[in-house]
Amino acid sequence: MDLGELKNLISEFKSDAKRLSSVADFEELRLKYAGKKGKIAQLFDVFAKLKAEEKKEFGKKINELKNEIELELVDLQEKFLNKKVESPLDKFLKTLPGQKIEAGHLHIITQAIRDITEIFKPLGFVRTRYPEIDFEWFAFEALNIPSTHPARDEWETFFVDAPPDKKYGRLVITPHTSNGQIHEMLKNELPIRMLGISRCGRRQEDISHLQTFFQFEGLAVDKGISISHLKGTLDYFAKNFFGPGREIRLRPYDFRFTEPSFEVDINCALCLGKGCKLCKGGWVELGGAGMVHPNVLKYGGIDPATYTGFAFGWGVERTYMMKSGTKIDDIRHMFGNDLRFLEQF
Amino acid sequence: MNILIPHNWLQDYVKTDAKPADIAKALSLHAFSVEKIIETAGGEPVYEIEITPNRGDALSVLGIARELRALLPRLGFKASWQERKNKIGRVVDKLKLDVQIEEKSLVPRFSALILEDVQIKDSPDFIKRRLEAVGQRALNNIIDITNYLMFDWGQPMHAFDYDKIKGAKMILRQSKKGEKITTLDGVERKLPEGVIVIEDGDGHLIDLCGIMGAKNSEVDENTKRVLLFVQVYDPVLIRKSSMALGHRTEAALRFEKGIDFEGVIPALWEAADLMKRYANAREASKLIDILNVKYAAKEVLVDYEKINLVAGVEISKKEVNEILRGLGFEFSGQKVKVPSWRYDDVDLSEDLAEEVIRFYGYYKLPDKLLTGNLPKKTNQGLFFLELVVKLFLKHQGFFECYTNSATNQALAGSGALKIANPLTEEFKYFRTSLLPQLSEVIEKNLGYSDQIKVFELASVYLAKKNELPAQPLKLGLVVRGMKFLEFKGVIEALQKEIRIKNLLNFNIREQKDGLLAVELDFEELARVVERAIAYQPLCNFNSIKEDLTFIIPPGEITYPQIEKIILETDKRILRLDFKGIYKNFLTLAIEYLDTAKQISSGQTQEIRKEIFNQLEKQLGVKLKL
Repeated sequence: MDLGELKNLISEFKSDAKRLSSVADFEELRLKYAGKKGKIAQLFDVFAKLKAEEKKEFGKKINELKNEIELELVDLQEKFLNKKVESPLDKFLKTLPGQKIEAGHLHIITQAIRDITEIFKPLGFVRTRYPEIDFEWFAFEALNIPSTHPARDEWETFFVDAPPDKKYGRLVITPHTSNGQIHEMLKNELPIRMLGISRCGRRQEDISHLQTFFQFEGLAVDKGISISHLKGTLDYFAKNFFGPGREIRLRPYDFRFTEPSFEVDINCALCLGKGCKLCKGGWVELGGAGMVHPNVLKYGGIDPATYTGFAFGWGVERTYMMKSGTKIDDIRHMFGNDLRFLEQF
Repeated sequence: MNILIPHNWLQDYVKTDAKPADIAKALSLHAFSVEKIIETAGGEPVYEIEITPNRGDALSVLGIARELRALLPRLGFKASWQERKNKIGRVVDKLKLDVQIEEKSLVPRFSALILEDVQIKDSPDFIKRRLEAVGQRALNNIIDITNYLMFDWGQPMHAFDYDKIKGAKMILRQSKKGEKITTLDGVERKLPEGVIVIEDGDGHLIDLCGIMGAKNSEVDENTKRVLLFVQVYDPVLIRKSSMALGHRTEAALRFEKGIDFEGVIPALWEAADLMKRYANAREASKLIDILNVKYAAKEVLVDYEKINLVAGVEISKKEVNEILRGLGFEFSGQKVKVPSWRYDDVDLSEDLAEEVIRFYGYYKLPDKLLTGNLPKKTNQGLFFLELVVKLFLKHQGFFECYTNSATNQALAGSGALKIANPLTEEFKYFRTSLLPQLSEVIEKNLGYSDQIKVFELASVYLAKKNELPAQPLKLGLVVRGMKFLEFKGVIEALQKEIRIKNLLNFNIREQKDGLLAVELDFEELARVVERAIAYQPLCNFNSIKEDLTFIIPPGEITYPQIEKIILETDKRILRLDFKGIYKNFLTLAIEYLDTAKQISSGQTQEIRKEIFNQLEKQLGVKLKL
């Protein structure tokens, strides 16, 4: 056998291959050429008996021939057996990372609002949004905060440079979402279960305060609502938002628009209330709450002799930061819009 | 406001077996938050307590002791009350003070007593130690005693050197703008209009009332005669003045939260007694006590039913009564008389409910979820749509941003609402568009990536005459490193995503640095969303598709014009898609379908001819041959 015969062998293979019509034909072809005793095997037998100086060129040619026939056989096999045969490279290619899809990011505030809304939804709380710039009457007067109260001072609350309304007073950047309580009550649709989430503004900015921030305001008004309902609702929120094992407690506090008023604490994420280095005493402050003040109900057109209600209003950003594990140490990141921060959420 | 209360000072009033930690916990859960327990150098525990603004009565050792007297026995601790005797002194009609009060409302109660033969020296150790424990520097016996009473009883008081009051005359009035006074701390203060001051017989200002005394009338080592001065001032005026002057003294902080009207005279006699004991003083005048308001006891109805309703559990009448009595409320029938120190704070049955339930213990109330009727309307559509839009953009690689509602004048846009009392220039005008701040976000993040896409969904603020400003929700998008049509495609796809059939027009702004920006009126988008999609019957006939290439002639011509002409040519044109453009050769894909019968190539040929005809006639657009 010489090099010329090798060329004949490949053309012989190709003309055989053209004649294939069934799986059985293919198998026969495979055995004829690539079987244990097939033509390629025979070539290697010949090769073994060659002299060393002939082996070099002949060996190279046989290998080329072998590769070519094997590749052809793979193609034919795929055609007749309808089965893909993967080469090692094919297999490697599949281990490469998938093609990147541009992710984009929802802001952490949106995620927090979504979490909060979803938790209150099964309790029948309906989301609302009331104006961020509102009249003083809604933000203060109707909330039982008289004009002499410190919250109404120029150094605590932003006012808009505009002439005041005869009835409703100056335009103010609402320092809380509680103006929504009055708007909601004045809709005159009872019972109320409201989850108001809006932007607010306060005249301070530091590591834990922003001039623009969000609050979520819960308001329930119906016959027979008690502090027990407030406690149950906040406990439900705490367990679902912060995790099982978390509990809340109420401490006496003072807000003008609630009576009684409470400061709500949650047990520390780390020690669950036993007291540790982080929390000093086992509890950390979450925010304010209370039973709607009878004067506020009256301003909202609701008879306090028949109806009672509870309310709470907490900072969205602050509450989210207290969720164990977020570790955000400066609230100003929230409105800083550094993409390196935003991409983490 | 936080106050410091030494544990052993409390023992003057309540003897108890409760440990400091017990007291801290009891106060926190039932009355006031004890922030921490500090130890003095001598190892004495001192409570740091946050007092809520409604409880001016508790800004003293006595005030805290009163709470503990009622509270500790309920928690199983012993608490025996050490009654303090009222120390009414002698009255001597010897030295005089001529008092003129310009406006009665400035000083609801004015009281004073003159003492003589005073020996100025150091205070006794217990006074010095206690003042130090509450953070007050000891000065001399007279001044220390006035400070001591402020911390002990919550009644700020002042001592003048009687001989420095020219003409033994006091005119209490409001300041005129620009008047000056040098206060005890040596600072010369220029007064705004309306601050309460006292002028002596020579026309000098000798007191910045309720805030700090004046240097020119202070008690010093040569003082022999003292005017002890104990007042109740208009709380609002004190707060405003103190804030305006930026001088928040312990006295002002107490005056502005209200003073126990009936505690004034006992406090004065208590101070006089201490001065007699520790400064050798003797009474030298009649008691001056001017009442400028009518003070009548206040009665409030005890509504047991309301208490139970608010609590959500039944608290027995006996327990209610016990709690209220413990706190100093006196029963007369169904009503209670409010103790004088709680006069400003308790008005309604609800206020009594709070007193009862906080002492009962909020932690003892059960946790219940709401039952009963649900709200009738939900109106959640807009919130749902917001989330759909945000998620869509997130999946297109956009970063959601939150920027401040207010910004600087340049970014806010013209006609922007102005904040009357801004904190910074960067937060002074309410924005009228989201785009300038979003563009700024991109500029700040240029190093992040070649391509940056951001959006924000938030309100802008538009002034309206005599009305609340309009605060419509806008969707702002700004991108960098994105092709024009690619960006346009996102906004079109966004509208389709929220089921807008006839896409709203929008205007892409091409800004510097290759930024592209669009602002959409989100509320308008929400209005045109298809509420229900009408289903098109499925058709069993085949459509015919073909690509056609046209030549766009020079001149003003837009794609929508071409699109409109083609689509209006025949109702059997099912759809038209832009396929590509090369130079001025525009390739379109057209699909024909007859829903009534199978469309033939002959029919499409007729339609096609008409398309050519119309395009050429109306726009001069010809087929590329």
